[in-house]
Amino acid sequence: MPLRRRLPALVLVAVVAVGAAACSSSSSSSSASTASAASTAGASSAPGGTLGGTADTTTPAASLTGAGASSAQPFLTRAFYDYNRTNPKLTVNYSAAGSAVGISDIQAGTVTFGQSEIPMSASDQAKATGGPILQVPIDLGGVAISYNVPGAPTNLQLDGNQLADIYLGTVTDWHQIDSSIPAGTTIVPVHRADSSGPGYDLDQYLIDTSPAWVTAIGTTTASKTWPKANVGVGQQLNSGVATYVKQTPGAIGFVEYAYALQNGFTNAALRNTSGSYVAPSIASIAAAGSHATDLSSANFNIVDAPGNATYPLANFSWSLIYQKQKSTDTGIALGKLLDWIATTGQRNAQPLGYAPMPANAQAVAHTALLQLQGADGSALFAS
Amino acid sequence: MSTIAPAANGASWAPVDGVAATLADRRARPGGRLYAAVRWGGAALFAGVFALLIFVLLHESSSAFAHMGITILWRGWNPAKNQYGAGVFAVGTLLTTLVALVIAVPIGLGTATFLAELAPRWVAAPCTVLVEFLAAVPSIVVGLWGLIVLTPLFARHVEPFLKDVPVLGALFHGPPLGASILLAGVVLAIMILPTIVALSRVAMSGVALADREAGMALAATRWQVARRVVLPGARRGIRAAVTLAMGRALGEAIAVAMVVGNNTAFPHSLLAPGATLGSAIVNSFSEANPGTLEKSGVVALVVVLLGISVLVNAGGQILLRARKGAPPPRGPVEEILAVTGPAS
Repeated sequence: MPLRRRLPALVLVAVVAVGAAACSSSSSSSSASTASAASTAGASSAPGGTLGGTADTTTPAASLTGAGASSAQPFLTRAFYDYNRTNPKLTVNYSAAGSAVGISDIQAGTVTFGQSEIPMSASDQAKATGGPILQVPIDLGGVAISYNVPGAPTNLQLDGNQLADIYLGTVTDWHQIDSSIPAGTTIVPVHRADSSGPGYDLDQYLIDTSPAWVTAIGTTTASKTWPKANVGVGQQLNSGVATYVKQTPGAIGFVEYAYALQNGFTNAALRNTSGSYVAPSIASIAAAGSHATDLSSANFNIVDAPGNATYPLANFSWSLIYQKQKSTDTGIALGKLLDWIATTGQRNAQPLGYAPMPANAQAVAHTALLQLQGADGSALFAS
Repeated sequence: MSTIAPAANGASWAPVDGVAATLADRRARPGGRLYAAVRWGGAALFAGVFALLIFVLLHESSSAFAHMGITILWRGWNPAKNQYGAGVFAVGTLLTTLVALVIAVPIGLGTATFLAELAPRWVAAPCTVLVEFLAAVPSIVVGLWGLIVLTPLFARHVEPFLKDVPVLGALFHGPPLGASILLAGVVLAIMILPTIVALSRVAMSGVALADREAGMALAATRWQVARRVVLPGARRGIRAAVTLAMGRALGEAIAVAMVVGNNTAFPHSLLAPGATLGSAIVNSFSEANPGTLEKSGVVALVVVLLGISVLVNAGGQILLRARKGAPPPRGPVEEILAVTGPAS
């Protein structure tokens, strides 16, 4: 196991609780339930039957482990709970240790699924120890630029150049950003100390919109590691940045929109490609997602998507799984769970601050999951 | 002192014949051999584990050392530019530790003197228990408290105030962001303070009663006795306490990562956010992929941290010893035991 950061508020294990008695009595009959799952598949010979996006009770009992993005954690925790109510035989442990850990853990094969806002590149996949990787979009979220500035307007508008000034440290007083804020209010720029999806998105946005930023970082390739770690304060995970912004007057930071909602943050409206200033909301994030008509793990970027009402900082979150599953039961349980989350489970998105995924993204997820295989290479699900 | 001295005149002494025979007999028995095997085995295991640790660390970090060469000691850290220097973090480590010691040593020694010498029993007894309890508080608790309570306090009041102090303010320039080298030092000071108090109090209470009485007989006040008799008498134990506390401050990772600001720029001011070797290791280790230069660079940070700990400790010991003759070298724990005597 790689060393995990054990900050108590940060490493959250989402346990979908199951009565101990139910668990022990069902574990012995897992092969029997696989058989019954196969029988419901009718004519098909696939052990998992068809993938219908429903939480049917024929899912084999299984215990899944996942690790990765903290951005997806509020949504995943709620989705696991929801799924578990109709399907109590499945338990999922999710460790929100950051996208980079999600990728390295699935590469090492220590988890059933990894989670990341930035899909694995070809070179990432080449390092996977268990064969080909399937990448499944499961939520559509946004990155809020949250600020805690006494005396600031609640509808602060920022463009790429201003944000770059803040994160490059060239502007240090809030008065220079907005003249209605009293002079002498120090800007406390907060960034991620670990590599992150939100950091990647903001880096991409700044690369797209600010020449000064590109000059300063010396590249036009966005990075999950925050490129200007020598300015401002770095904190671990969304929760670390959120905590720091919440308690420090003058602070500005980037967090997944769900965290901004939870904390009641004031968020800046960002200038999009049409030149209008748009604040993060379910509608403006959904607008960004609606432009991902050709979504794939290689074509995932929806930062600076077109549209007048589009919020420029949005992303899908991807579950990373092995195509070839060592255990048939685990593979079936995993496939059914993710298919449900990508479809029916999207009903949990809106209340938490995520936009429901558009139909084509759901289809990308479904198509990926249909490729799941058992240890012998046979398909787990019938198309 | 409780050590058994050989004959004072230095003459060697032969054991009585019967004793020698018994000893030879004991050694010949299997139990004696077994004990010897356990003894030597234990020692060899310890040395082996230590050697293996060094070997693995050097092996894992070799590609970073090869890549950076000697410049690893002063260059900065920038994975984007394939630069894995430990310099900025080493400076952060030394600065935060220095701040912690500057705060914790005077306060700690003052508290210990008060508890050991001046406080009435009904104050000293519960306070002593409390201090020893505090010494056992896990560092994450102190770190979290520092992040939640001290950070806003520092950003709003302490750091703006320090900037305006004449002369001293030169150390504290730059915007007050809350998280900083200074705040990390303060959190470390809080963490090591109980260690210093608890151990130096023990050392002070080990000073012979006769010495104090002699001081009193010369009409010294209790304060004068504490300062002129007890503090010098407990000097070695106090030095040991500070050494142990410093070791803890140098190596602390999680608590520092929460309050230091995790900034890779060279800290030009105590108000600047920075990073230490420990905080950088804890931030980067789980992220860096195995087999990459970055992973090797993180392990190199561990090697540098180990080196700094050894150097700082050894350097401190040598500096302090050079003055007065050459007492036999002893480790910090031994120093404490030497003062308190063997456990009864």
